[in-house]
Amino acid sequence: MSAENGPAMITLQSNDNHVIDVERSVAERSLLIKNMMEDLGEGALGQIVPIPNVTEPVLRKVIEWCEHHRNDPPSTNEDESDNRKKTTDIDEWDQKFMQVDQEMLFEIILASNYLDIKPLLDVGCKTVANMIKGKSPEEIRKTFNITNDFTPEEEEQIRRENEWAEDR
Amino acid sequence: MPPQPNREDIEATWNYLQTGITKIMTNLQDGMDMTTYMGIYTAVHNFCTSQKATNISSATGVGQAHRGAHLLGEDLYRKLKEYLNGHLAALHQESKAHTDEALLAFYIREWDRYTIAAKYIHHLFRYLNRHWVKREMDEGKKNTYDVYTLHLCQWRIEFFTLVHEKVMSAVLKLVEKQRNGETIEHGQIKQVVDSFVSLGLDEHDASKSTLDIYRSHFEKPFLAATKAFYQTESKQFVSENSVVEYMKKAEARLDEEEERVRMYLHNDIAATLRKTCNEALIADHSALLRDEFQVLLDNDREDDMARMYKLLSRIPEGLDPLRQKFEAHVRNAGLAAVAKVASDAEKLEPKVYVEALLETHTQYQTLVKRAFTEEPEFTRSLDNACREFVNRNEICKAGSSRSPELLAKYTDVLLRKSGTGVEEAELDATLTQIMTVFKYIEDKDVFQKFYSRMLARRLVHSNSSSDDAETSMISKLKEACGFEYTNKLQRMFQDMQISKDLNTGFREHTKGLQLEKQALDSSYSILGTSFWPLTAPHTTFNPPPEIQTDLDRFSLFYKNKHEGRKLTWLWQLCKGEVKTGYCRNSKTPYTLQVSVYQMAILLLFNDKDAQTYEDILSATQLTPEVHDSAMGILLKAKILHMKPDGDKPGPGKSFHLNYDFKSKKIRVNLNISTKTESKQEEVDTNKTIEEDRQLVLQSAIVRIMKARKKMKHSILVSECISQIRSRFVPKVGDIKKNIEILLDKEYLERLDDDELGYLA
Repeated sequence: MSAENGPAMITLQSNDNHVIDVERSVAERSLLIKNMMEDLGEGALGQIVPIPNVTEPVLRKVIEWCEHHRNDPPSTNEDESDNRKKTTDIDEWDQKFMQVDQEMLFEIILASNYLDIKPLLDVGCKTVANMIKGKSPEEIRKTFNITNDFTPEEEEQIRRENEWAEDR
Repeated sequence: MPPQPNREDIEATWNYLQTGITKIMTNLQDGMDMTTYMGIYTAVHNFCTSQKATNISSATGVGQAHRGAHLLGEDLYRKLKEYLNGHLAALHQESKAHTDEALLAFYIREWDRYTIAAKYIHHLFRYLNRHWVKREMDEGKKNTYDVYTLHLCQWRIEFFTLVHEKVMSAVLKLVEKQRNGETIEHGQIKQVVDSFVSLGLDEHDASKSTLDIYRSHFEKPFLAATKAFYQTESKQFVSENSVVEYMKKAEARLDEEEERVRMYLHNDIAATLRKTCNEALIADHSALLRDEFQVLLDNDREDDMARMYKLLSRIPEGLDPLRQKFEAHVRNAGLAAVAKVASDAEKLEPKVYVEALLETHTQYQTLVKRAFTEEPEFTRSLDNACREFVNRNEICKAGSSRSPELLAKYTDVLLRKSGTGVEEAELDATLTQIMTVFKYIEDKDVFQKFYSRMLARRLVHSNSSSDDAETSMISKLKEACGFEYTNKLQRMFQDMQISKDLNTGFREHTKGLQLEKQALDSSYSILGTSFWPLTAPHTTFNPPPEIQTDLDRFSLFYKNKHEGRKLTWLWQLCKGEVKTGYCRNSKTPYTLQVSVYQMAILLLFNDKDAQTYEDILSATQLTPEVHDSAMGILLKAKILHMKPDGDKPGPGKSFHLNYDFKSKKIRVNLNISTKTESKQEEVDTNKTIEEDRQLVLQSAIVRIMKARKKMKHSILVSECISQIRSRFVPKVGDIKKNIEILLDKEYLERLDDDELGYLA
């Protein structure tokens, strides 16, 4: 990384062969990229980084998130991430960010899982959780466009087993 | 890089991965491109997230529901482990071709390559770590580790256990070379150490590491080799060199080993390595070293003694024999120093004696400071030795009271006016030294007695060199022995102060009386009976009328001020000055400084030029002995002539005023104490000491018995000793004698079983 040439840049390439330049510090929100840069060292700086599992629109979306969160403190503490798991609160910017169609939402979740960006993965999963919250099974099926493949008997059994979790 | 394999096919995936891993393991130095890196990561990710996972989970159905989604990865983990085992087996084969330093180089090279690869693979398999491994470990599965730890584990099991002995023997050979003075590549050893330490994985918690592997496979053989090396070396060296040379060698070796730890060993070994070296280099030869100590002492080899101290202090109980030898040596040195000055015990100057004691003490205190780092136990040995030679030496043969007596006398010499003319600062330093000896004196009561007598004399005759020095000395004694010890001394001081004010008051009073005759220029000291070591005169005395009026006036004045107090005149301490007006050969009159007895005799000659012996006695009321000694001096100074001439004054003789008296000085001091008088005083002092000791013993016995009511005889005796020891060391016989006395006086009673009881 040479300071006099402005921030060091990394070139990412989506699986549909689009090339995107990103600041190194932004790209390194992804632990995958961070570890790789560490492992391969300075010699790898000029190379294009292929991201074989992510398409251009999704990659751009993910980078947008990384830009916004570039200065977040790294969450190292286990307790802290536990805390975040428990609450479904999402900050305002992230809520707006996640106002996308369902297909894009799931793509973001998959991409963050693949790229190893834990906070983004958490935000994505919370968003999905919020979509489920307070809905009946039928409503959930409708929301996510799922066909009911349970027999009525199976359904009854599951209901009995999970009675304790029902709202009263 | 071939295209991504079918994500559901384990064989295809593994084949794809293996190509990459092999490159990492064996050929990383050629660098790696991003495509390969991302390819491997993606293949692992894709395999773990393949459709199969969902298939399996739906196939096992609701029963599996509580585990959540089934995670794939076990196959990959197993394959990786197998691959590592294969790699390590090959390494082991290869290692057989190397020995010694070549083997070390091989081990280190392969270890470095392997651990760097492990770090890469750990990152590449991060998806496996994050999900499958994490789940396995959360569920408490044994023998599943994150990928990096897996690498270390397999290294340990598949390679380390097979080669560590050979590696260690190479390390030890290298160290031996260095110990023999060759230069070695010690970085290699450092790397081996680090490798052994890294392999110490905690079976129960992968995030923690232990030193177990390092301790059993590195430290143990290392210490054993060290011990063997130094045992051999030291045995040989000692047989060919002097002990002093050996100590230097051992010191250098010990420093070297400390340096070795710093340079390339793990800090954990520091303590045990030190212990091993101490045993081989010091403990094994401690007898030899100690035998040399006496020689070093005799020759004042301070540096070598310091060296020996440093060496022996490293082993447990190493110094005890040195301390014993040191103590005996100091005692003998002290005794020898005293013997040197003791040739003429009768005429021994207190100064010479005390300085002899101090010189020995100072010499060895310096040694303790410089060679033995002022270690408390050595200081104690020094104290013990000093106590011995201060209280029991040739001078003290007659009685242990000689030391305190001489010490007190030396103090008197120092504190008396015009003594030696020492500077104030120097005086205080000398007094501090006096206190050094005082600390060792056992019969502190004897010192107190002599000191208070001599202080009394200094005060009464006002020939103390300075009040500051006196108070400083008293406060030093107070610091050492407590308030009680110096109480009387302080009161004596106070009495002198009060007397001064009293005299001023008396002088004012006399002035107010408007007498027709000019009053005497007089001064009185009022000394509290119980504080001063003084006794009333042994003689009757009729003071001359010239001073009687003033005495009466003062008595009246004092009794008015303090009703009910009794004044006793200590005539033997009184003195005055008279002027001659009769001498033919001198225009200026002589001033005679005389005792009050001499004054009484001389004033008689104002009326008559000649007096008979009998007349003088009846006029003065002095006993013949006191008169004779006072008269003796007057005769000797030729103030008076005796007729008929003879040796001694006595009945039938008469005395005549010498009108031809001549003297070089205008002031003539006739108030000199004779030798017999001061000798008598010494004897008296010693006698009072014995009497006082009986009283101290009796009061101690009564005090103890009053508190305990009943007590065994033997316990009472030892309790007595411990209570009195700060004043003097009582003899057991004396204690028994005083118990008998108290039994007779019915303070105590004899009970059964050797017990004594207290009678109120």
